[in-house]
Amino acid sequence: MMEKADLLERIAATLRHEISPVVGEPYARTQAFMASVVLGKLAAELRLGANQGHDANRELDELFLDLESHAAVDPLPDTLLAALSEATRERSDAGLAHLVEALYGARSALGEDRFAKLLGRIRQTLRARLARELTYAA
Amino acid sequence: MNAAAATDDISPRIRAYLGERMPDARDLKVENLTQIAVGWSHETFLFDARWSAGGEQREQGFCLRRDPGNALLRELSDLGEQFRVLKCLENTALPTPRAFWYEDDPALLDRPFLVMEKVPGICPNPWGREGRSFYAEAAARGILPASFTDTLATLHTLDWREAGLDFLGVPAAGADFARREIAKWRAFISATDAPPHPILSDLVGWLEANAPPARHLCLVHGAYRTGNLLIDEDRVSAVLDWELQVIGDPMYDVAYVLSDLNREGTELLSNVVDRETFFRRYEDATGFTIDEAVCRYYHLLYAMRSAAFWWSASDLYATGRSNDLRLARTAWSVPVVLERAARELGY
Repeated sequence: MMEKADLLERIAATLRHEISPVVGEPYARTQAFMASVVLGKLAAELRLGANQGHDANRELDELFLDLESHAAVDPLPDTLLAALSEATRERSDAGLAHLVEALYGARSALGEDRFAKLLGRIRQTLRARLARELTYAA
Repeated sequence: MNAAAATDDISPRIRAYLGERMPDARDLKVENLTQIAVGWSHETFLFDARWSAGGEQREQGFCLRRDPGNALLRELSDLGEQFRVLKCLENTALPTPRAFWYEDDPALLDRPFLVMEKVPGICPNPWGREGRSFYAEAAARGILPASFTDTLATLHTLDWREAGLDFLGVPAAGADFARREIAKWRAFISATDAPPHPILSDLVGWLEANAPPARHLCLVHGAYRTGNLLIDEDRVSAVLDWELQVIGDPMYDVAYVLSDLNREGTELLSNVVDRETFFRRYEDATGFTIDEAVCRYYHLLYAMRSAAFWWSASDLYATGRSNDLRLARTAWSVPVVLERAARELGY
């Protein structure tokens, strides 16, 4: 049985090389070509999810561990601590986004050095995630 | 519907509309009707009308823009507002098409539309091979770089209050302009189905914390670049695409010109003007000093805006409001935009 990502790539190639070139009407030809682009990206994303999903999970584990260790040494403001708990529990984009917002909201309470240190740690994880996304998005 | 079918369908209806608008016209004919844009933004039709009146033959080129019902950005600037802006600009030194009529009665052409003058000139796509070649050759001749820069200076120095453009909203002194833009694009993103994104949250947090004060307020086009300007004999004959205009900081437009997003395979800003010429001519003509630090800030605001565009565009497809697969493709443009922003933020 063909892998799903391989199948999508094959359909994308058929659309691009065999169907799109023989479509006479310009708008429809562009649509066929764009369908091949979208399927190609879905295939790459699917392949990446299968291969690197555990990297993303490990990076999140390390991030939350680091932030919780930081909080254990020097307590975080309540709003930030609540956002960290939520992000750790949910492990979602929404949770991480809320954590970043809570960090900015607690900036004056944290002081610039501590704010920058915590933000830098979160950015390290987000940077790694972006690098993965760009392998199929760019 | 393809473009040819669309023009066949609409031609007699345009003729009937013009007949009502110009009751003294006799033997009215609509000719050379073409649709020049399909999909993302408003539908655009060009045509020539010929008629006789008072014993004389008359002719006028027209451009009709119609709301397709699912245009990108339509929540921000509808055709009614575009009409109002163009009317305000008619008596200024800025080259813009004269606006004739705006109609929101669906009985006329199904959806709201705007009729304006067809201005002589061409608008090559700066991302296509032919367009890049056109702008490179025009840049080498030297007239277009000056015209591009001088037209922006004209835009930024026109008396927008006198022109009646304060209906667009006037920011308060200080950083209000930047904060209003952040709020506008945040609301725009919220209106899509895009899930919260941590890098966007970081970007918005940074933008809010670093919003610069606007040293001057002017009419800002919001997308001043080649591709949105009509060119005739190497000069800007009309500034087009009035969809993102605001009263705000002139550096917002300047930052857009300086952005490397608006050129491809060339160091020339917006494919036409070298940096030194742009700085010198713009500063001489406006009396403003280009603040590169502020422009770097606005580059990050543009990253937020671009992410908003792409999310909104892909949302049009995802929610079934458009079947254009080019819109589906834009979902993958978001990480590219956010990666650029992340680099600027020091990730």
